[in-house]
Amino acid sequence: MADVQTGLRKPWILGDKSLTQVSQDICGILERKPTAMWWTAFLISLSVLAVGAAATIYQVATGIGTWGLNKTVGWAFDITNFVFWIGIGHAGTLISAILFLFRQRWRTSVNRAAEAMTIFAVICAALFPLIHMGRPWLFFWVFPYPNFRGPLWINFRSPLVWDFFAISTYFTISAVFWYIGLIPDLATIRDRAKPGIRRRIISFFSMGWDGSYRSWIRYEIVYLLLAGLATPLVVSVHTIVSWDFATAIIPGWHTTIFPPYFVAGAIFSGFAMVLTLMIIARKVMGLEDYFTLRHIDAMCKIIIVTGSIVGLAYLTEFFVAAYSSNPYEQFVFINRALGPFAWAYWTMVTCNVISPQLLWFKSVRSCIPMVFILTIVVNIGMWFERFVIVVTSLHRDYLPSSWADYSPTLIEILTLLGSFGLFFSAFLLFCRFLPVIAMAEVKGILSYGKSTGHTETSKELESSTKPGHAKAPVGERELEGASA
Amino acid sequence: MPVTVGAINTAAVSGIPAASEGENYTLVLYPKVGLGDGRHAYNSWLQELPDPVTKVTWDNYACLSVAAARELGVEQGDVLRIAAGGSDESSTLELPAYIQPGQHDKVVAVAMGYGQVSSARFVDAGPEWILRRPTVGDNGLVGKNAAPLLSLEGGGLRYIRPGVSVSKTGRKTELACTQTHHTITVPAELATADTLRRPIVQETTLAAFLKDPHSGQHHFHVFEGDLYPAEDHPYTGHRWMMAIDLTSCSGCSACVVACQVENNVPVVGRDEVLRRRDMQWMRIDRYYSGEGDEVDVIHQPMLCQHCENASCENVCPVLATVHTDEGLNAQVYNRCVGTRYCANNCAYKVRRFNWFNYLHEDEVENLVLNPDVSVRSRGIMEKCSFCVQRIQEAKIEAKRHGEPLADGAVKPACQQSCPMQAIVFGDANNPDSQIAKLIQSPRQFRVLEEINVRPSVHYLTLVRNRTEEEGSVHHG
Amino acid sequence: MNRRIFMSVHECEEDLLGVVKAVRQQGLKIVDIYTPYPVHGLDRAAGFGPSRLPWICFVLGLLGAGLKVWFEFWTTAQDWPINVGGKPWDSLPAFIPVTFEVMVLFAGVGTVIALFIATPLYPGKKAVTPFARTTDDRFALLLEEEDATFDPDQVRMLCERYNAVRVEEREEKY
Repeated sequence: MADVQTGLRKPWILGDKSLTQVSQDICGILERKPTAMWWTAFLISLSVLAVGAAATIYQVATGIGTWGLNKTVGWAFDITNFVFWIGIGHAGTLISAILFLFRQRWRTSVNRAAEAMTIFAVICAALFPLIHMGRPWLFFWVFPYPNFRGPLWINFRSPLVWDFFAISTYFTISAVFWYIGLIPDLATIRDRAKPGIRRRIISFFSMGWDGSYRSWIRYEIVYLLLAGLATPLVVSVHTIVSWDFATAIIPGWHTTIFPPYFVAGAIFSGFAMVLTLMIIARKVMGLEDYFTLRHIDAMCKIIIVTGSIVGLAYLTEFFVAAYSSNPYEQFVFINRALGPFAWAYWTMVTCNVISPQLLWFKSVRSCIPMVFILTIVVNIGMWFERFVIVVTSLHRDYLPSSWADYSPTLIEILTLLGSFGLFFSAFLLFCRFLPVIAMAEVKGILSYGKSTGHTETSKELESSTKPGHAKAPVGERELEGASA
Repeated sequence: MPVTVGAINTAAVSGIPAASEGENYTLVLYPKVGLGDGRHAYNSWLQELPDPVTKVTWDNYACLSVAAARELGVEQGDVLRIAAGGSDESSTLELPAYIQPGQHDKVVAVAMGYGQVSSARFVDAGPEWILRRPTVGDNGLVGKNAAPLLSLEGGGLRYIRPGVSVSKTGRKTELACTQTHHTITVPAELATADTLRRPIVQETTLAAFLKDPHSGQHHFHVFEGDLYPAEDHPYTGHRWMMAIDLTSCSGCSACVVACQVENNVPVVGRDEVLRRRDMQWMRIDRYYSGEGDEVDVIHQPMLCQHCENASCENVCPVLATVHTDEGLNAQVYNRCVGTRYCANNCAYKVRRFNWFNYLHEDEVENLVLNPDVSVRSRGIMEKCSFCVQRIQEAKIEAKRHGEPLADGAVKPACQQSCPMQAIVFGDANNPDSQIAKLIQSPRQFRVLEEINVRPSVHYLTLVRNRTEEEGSVHHG
Repeated sequence: MNRRIFMSVHECEEDLLGVVKAVRQQGLKIVDIYTPYPVHGLDRAAGFGPSRLPWICFVLGLLGAGLKVWFEFWTTAQDWPINVGGKPWDSLPAFIPVTFEVMVLFAGVGTVIALFIATPLYPGKKAVTPFARTTDDRFALLLEEEDATFDPDQVRMLCERYNAVRVEEREEKY
């Protein structure tokens, strides 16, 4: 308890909130009517989604030929987008699981939104392997179900099968983790809501949560177990995604460095995306007290670290290619940097390695517009990283006779845009209907009511935080109404 | 022959774009390998057959040497006006340029057999979709007819016409080429000097070969051992293999068409070829080695290598491509869901994907299909099957006669049609078979042997009929 | 059978922890505590035993992993062995990724289902909160008035020492 706020730590939540103020701040957003800004954003996202959906329907109805792929470059935007979105998703699990295990208290302000982001990103990601198939209506063939063909099972040696299991497990566990985290907050909303349809719906999903401490004990242990399971899971998912490439024999794909490189890249892009979303959300929904400059600062530091790992990986790839004395491998890397897709490679390096270095400066980290721009730049860079890996390795592989160029068609570009439409539409709906901040968790890290009786608590804190009971307004106290 | 390169902008005055003009070229008209004089121009297989040297389909073009192109400031695809004296329409021809190394500097070569009325039927060739480009040109036909430039002399047709002028029109068209990187070396700025040439073809000279039949051999570090238990896949019955003699191969491409006909491979049209989606299961890779106009040509037939450790099989999630116990890499069409992972992971890029529904129900066209081979629908992968239908037929026939399968009883379409008998197919487990002997040849090599996928297709060193012992010998 | 419940409502976790420790010293029986968030250290203070759910998680994880690795071996090497890329029938290293994922899936989902059963929680369940604001900002301590030695007045004084904002007694069926 006392280790929550050791001497030198300032509280993560500003404004000396009381417990009920937290409920008021977070639930208030959901109880008000949506703002014009929300409607504008939502309608734009929805239209982009509609355009993307139209492009996808056309593609599925007509054939993958409507994409710019060819017999040499069999994957491009599809798998680039898939890896990109999966990577985005990883930050959510990292925040909710890994930071939970490390007892990083600041995660409470972002974990709900980040987990929601994970779920929506995984949905966007899962869409691409589905629609990139020649016959997407037969997608269920990758599942080993008993059938009348032998039965013919599936190829457990294929990284795509590993992917299928990894993505579906990841989605399921993320969704369960998110939902478990939501239950106490749903109960809070339920108990505040006026009777009516909204209350009934929320009541249904709150599963009768009553805040009993016996339930809390089990709940806490399950939360811890899920965090413990999700941590290796998230690492395994991007590792498996990287194996799609690493176990292949194509130079530029066949690289043992991929698992750590992909995991670091995923966290890098995911944190950037969380920051992008939270910087908007804190402004639009007035959550400045919950998602503070300190949160932004902490996340920027993680971006520097993971960005540097990614940069190191880029260098290591070149070193390994040179050291391997494998001419195919060497060519692929020189071709990346100087060949026809050099523009994509240098976009990637500029966005991912050079631009995040600005975050070393405290003044940049505390300048929200700068951070916002940098997070978008990072995500552009990370999209290009996957594009570079997928396309530049394929387009010039072993036999020069089959070298080919690649350029996307309009259909492909619209499909990518559509996935952003899907992501933001879902996220905006989430902001409207569910608490963006995990109230029960934030309440646990408030300084409210935690000063007296705890010898370890620092003097600084004692002076900055008054005892909770003394702070509560007299009018709110029910002592006079207490019955015997 | 003075050449003016855009010195005066005449376009503003006359409406004719600035043209650099070269006089005194000699026009060489030649019948094309596929189309001949054009009497088969209605045949889509032949229209889509890549030219053995230029690898261009669905068009004719004006070949210029590298030096001539440099002199005229012409790039590949620039539309040229070829005027053979006279100002009438029939003595000029507008065709895209194709830069052909090894050609005489003062020659413009144009293929006959194009612009035929019978090619008007290809107006709808290829899949129907919003971004599709037409297979036929502005004239509604495939290519331009060069026949009006033939001249009659002494009662015979003259295919050579001196004194033509060549000028740029300023327009550009794309040529539907199945191969866009032409040399066996990688671009010089992207590799170190000793890794420029890809060690995928072994070649030597006759003199060197006579001295040492192993000459030209690459020496790779091939992993000899095996991490896997060998008893899992013993191949005790037939073991189908193929050997292709690069010395015999002339690149004529008869095998390509034969394979296409035998295996119901669709014709996809010019736009799809432009998008690098040609479907022929077999292709003839044509590489130049050497610099500028001084090049040697290598023809390397490339088809599914039926690798023992096939990298494509391993990645298929649904077991749609697997190995048979006779060493075939089998593609199960009706199981394929079309992830294209196998094609990506194929080191030889010999897998073909049905990007659209290429074959449609058509009462007449259906008559051309081989009933022994499934027609593939949209969204699935296909590739060379070693003519498995022929293997099965021969096996059944042998069984019916109660005899062992004779060597040579199975001939895939490519072997059957090869005029040079460069392709030999057979059971390598039969010690008396021709293939079993060929794979013991000192000239034997396999492409990309060093990545240990263990292809079943063997190649025989290309021996050039030269007296020098040096020149085209490369040690990897 | 009926029992008498004594409820004391507090405003902050500190008071709650204090009162819980105090009533435990008095030997009073805690029925349950209702809190808006999981109060750190309350389980020890209240003497609630640890949950057995980790065991369920562990066993289910083992079960999932075991079943999956068997299933992969059975389908790939026994039921219909197919030569895929020259790989051995039993490609155990290639089976590990899926085994791991299924282990996590079994353990995670199984544990959550176990939580729902043990608590119990299920969709549409009616919440019975002893005091309306325990999901917002109030901490409610419920004691059982076991026998005649339970002196409500004394207990109330104790609770008020810890800033109880509301104290009440009620009958409850169980």
